[in-house]
Amino acid sequence: MSPGLFQTALYASLALCGLGLIWRASAWFRVRIGTDARAVTWSGRMAAVFRGTTWVLFSRRLFAVLGALFLDVLLLRRLYTNEKLRWFAHLLIVVGFTLLLLVHALAPIVSAKLFQGYQPTLDPYLFLRDLFGVMVLAGAALLLLGRRPARRELAQTRGRRNTVFMALLAFVLVSGFLLEASKIASPRAFYRMTDQFMGTTDPQTLAPLRALWASEFGVAFADMKQPIDPSLVEQGRKLNSESCAACHAKPASAFVSYQLARMVASVTSLLDEGHADVWLLYLHVFACFLGLASLPFTGLFHVVAAPLSLLINAATQDRALPAQRFSTAGRAARRALALDACVRCGICDLRCSVAPLARYLGNAGLLPSHKLLAIGALAGGRLLRAGHEGEALRAADGAFLCTDCGRCTSRCPVGIDLADLWEAGRSDLAAAGLPTPAQWVQARPALEWGEFLQAHPGLHTLRDTDASRAPLSADRSTFSRCVQCQTCTNVCPVVAHSIDAEHGIDLTPQKVMNLLRLGLRDLTLGSRMVWDCASCYQCQESCPEGIRVADIMCELRGLAVRRLGSVRDWKEPS
Amino acid sequence: MKYALFLGCKIPAQLPAYEASMRAVLGHLGVTLVDLEFNCCGYPARNYSHEAFVAAAAHNLALAERAGLDLLTPCSCCFGTLRHAIRFLNEDAQLRARVGQALAAEGLAWSGKTAVEHLLPVLARTVGVDALAAAVRIPHAGLRVAAQYGCHALRPSDVTGIDNAMAPTLFETLIGVTGATPVDWPRRLDCCGDPLHEANTALSERMTQAKIADALESGAEVICSACPHCHLRFDALQAGSPEPSIRTLLYTQLLGLAMGLPAKSLGL
Repeated sequence: MSPGLFQTALYASLALCGLGLIWRASAWFRVRIGTDARAVTWSGRMAAVFRGTTWVLFSRRLFAVLGALFLDVLLLRRLYTNEKLRWFAHLLIVVGFTLLLLVHALAPIVSAKLFQGYQPTLDPYLFLRDLFGVMVLAGAALLLLGRRPARRELAQTRGRRNTVFMALLAFVLVSGFLLEASKIASPRAFYRMTDQFMGTTDPQTLAPLRALWASEFGVAFADMKQPIDPSLVEQGRKLNSESCAACHAKPASAFVSYQLARMVASVTSLLDEGHADVWLLYLHVFACFLGLASLPFTGLFHVVAAPLSLLINAATQDRALPAQRFSTAGRAARRALALDACVRCGICDLRCSVAPLARYLGNAGLLPSHKLLAIGALAGGRLLRAGHEGEALRAADGAFLCTDCGRCTSRCPVGIDLADLWEAGRSDLAAAGLPTPAQWVQARPALEWGEFLQAHPGLHTLRDTDASRAPLSADRSTFSRCVQCQTCTNVCPVVAHSIDAEHGIDLTPQKVMNLLRLGLRDLTLGSRMVWDCASCYQCQESCPEGIRVADIMCELRGLAVRRLGSVRDWKEPS
Repeated sequence: MKYALFLGCKIPAQLPAYEASMRAVLGHLGVTLVDLEFNCCGYPARNYSHEAFVAAAAHNLALAERAGLDLLTPCSCCFGTLRHAIRFLNEDAQLRARVGQALAAEGLAWSGKTAVEHLLPVLARTVGVDALAAAVRIPHAGLRVAAQYGCHALRPSDVTGIDNAMAPTLFETLIGVTGATPVDWPRRLDCCGDPLHEANTALSERMTQAKIADALESGAEVICSACPHCHLRFDALQAGSPEPSIRTLLYTQLLGLAMGLPAKSLGL
């Protein structure tokens, strides 16, 4: 490969990588997640990051951050506590790849300077190169095999961006092994070396060396007579130790490439004629450059974002004063970073407290990794585009059914403050016309909702198609015993605390029961009484007829979410 | 005495002191708590989908059933929700079948073997008032304490059944055991306002404030809660409020202090 081409490609890749990194990092100062983040300028975020960094550097918190750098970033502690197998696989890849990068790819500036007499063709480097390569491939294979089958109907969020860089990584490794193998088996490479280092092309002089390299070094000479004369091999050994051994060890220690070389021995002349070692070198090197150039644009970007997330996590874990230590501007930047730091490992989804709800409702939008994507889509303006209404509504359900149990945050292997992200996401959804059900239902009076339902005959009948989902309010015998004695109203704390007309309720519990008796369930669905009910069960406990008033109220709210939700136009909240 | 501990979502995230004090106290009283990885009790979904709420609750019941344990919760809302789910499962065969199908897909089943217990009756009846009295070493002599049960521990009584829902004495007895004096306060059975906090903040705060004012007027020095929602709601309202405030304690903290356990182990 000509040095000019190599350098041009290297610098081009480095430039692309650098520009890409700047572009991706700029998102942490641009992307707005949470309504509180909208008031913060990019320069405000810059300042917050600068202040935070300075504070960490000159306080005792520095030790916590250094500890996290070692334990969380280098040793992947948080992944270890979650999934040991995946941790092991990931560590294999990280260690193998880093060592390959330092010892092999950056050999001229690392190995050559660090290790006396470094030659890529000497041991232990021959052996180590293969070992590191095997570590990376084994790690990747473990990750692939260890993938959980998608949990039934809930698709996983693992996207193309991970597949792209994993494929590139595999390509680099495999092409590297093939390149090494083709060179080991290649007679052309043999003659090139003897010409260059012994200064001879004389077949007679080289015959003993050929014998040795054919029998013990894996070179596949097409014209080699079998069986090879042992005495010739012995002569070759002498010649080898004089002329070759100082720079070239037996390649058998490159245990993968050597076996590969033996496997391709029969087609070596074909490979040699086709200059396989040359184009394999091109493929290998350009795949590396492609990986470098595409780093900011594939899932590999997590090697930048995830460590940052972990370090910020360590820097801000101040149990006493998190809010004061961490300004709105800092949180805004951290939220944007979270979108890049997430590796879609799905550990949060597995631990999610509402996962059974997500499965039962068939809405993956309840799961953390899906919520994170939805928040990204909302911030990028993609979620609210026409045609995405269903997706947006599912995201809203996910946001508001979250119980804030914090398990996702405590488990996240890259230290994302998901709890903060969920709160920010809910504020964005509400601002986009997708607030909690209680809010959007109460934005219209009950009568208006009743009229909406009248206009949609499929929704308003009492002869219910989904009686099973509303067993009490659809069954006359539940409430027909009501004698309108008002006991429920008299014991209701919500009625008691409704002090004025503006903040008051529209119906009383006994009126809700009466509407049900009259077959006017539609009129109750949007009523303030139903939605301001605290479900304290005073009414139900006190009802002389044993009517399950509070249970019915619960059911009406669920019914309203579904019925009214299907007729509401959420882009125009009144 | 061995139970699967059902903490719910609120306690681990916002009130770890309840978990700490409960473990400390029950550990001394010889109650073994087993940790299973439960999910949300289903409470937040009650206003969303009747079936999904029952399914989520049933998932927890089935997890405890697989472990062969009864379930113990210190959260009144989780308690009420899980008990309600059992009622709906028993009432509705179609629902039971559909939920059973969803559970089977997870390799689980619900047959109703698992009982759902609330912390208060387990302390008062299973551990027993006598055992508690024997464990008390530093009685809170003269401390006037208002008991806050949490609505869903008491009502509806045909679901919860822990005491007479109109005139309960269970919690007051438990307060008495610690040497403290239970206070009779008119609003003791009222809702704390927490369920409405998101939907109607102003109304919710009026309800919370009315309870605090009532406890103070009745001469209480402490509101002692058996539900994390109530406890957190009182604290949240009092934080930065100009109104006169009252000390809040969880029952496991009140009892733990009387048992002479170190305050730190009780999350204080």
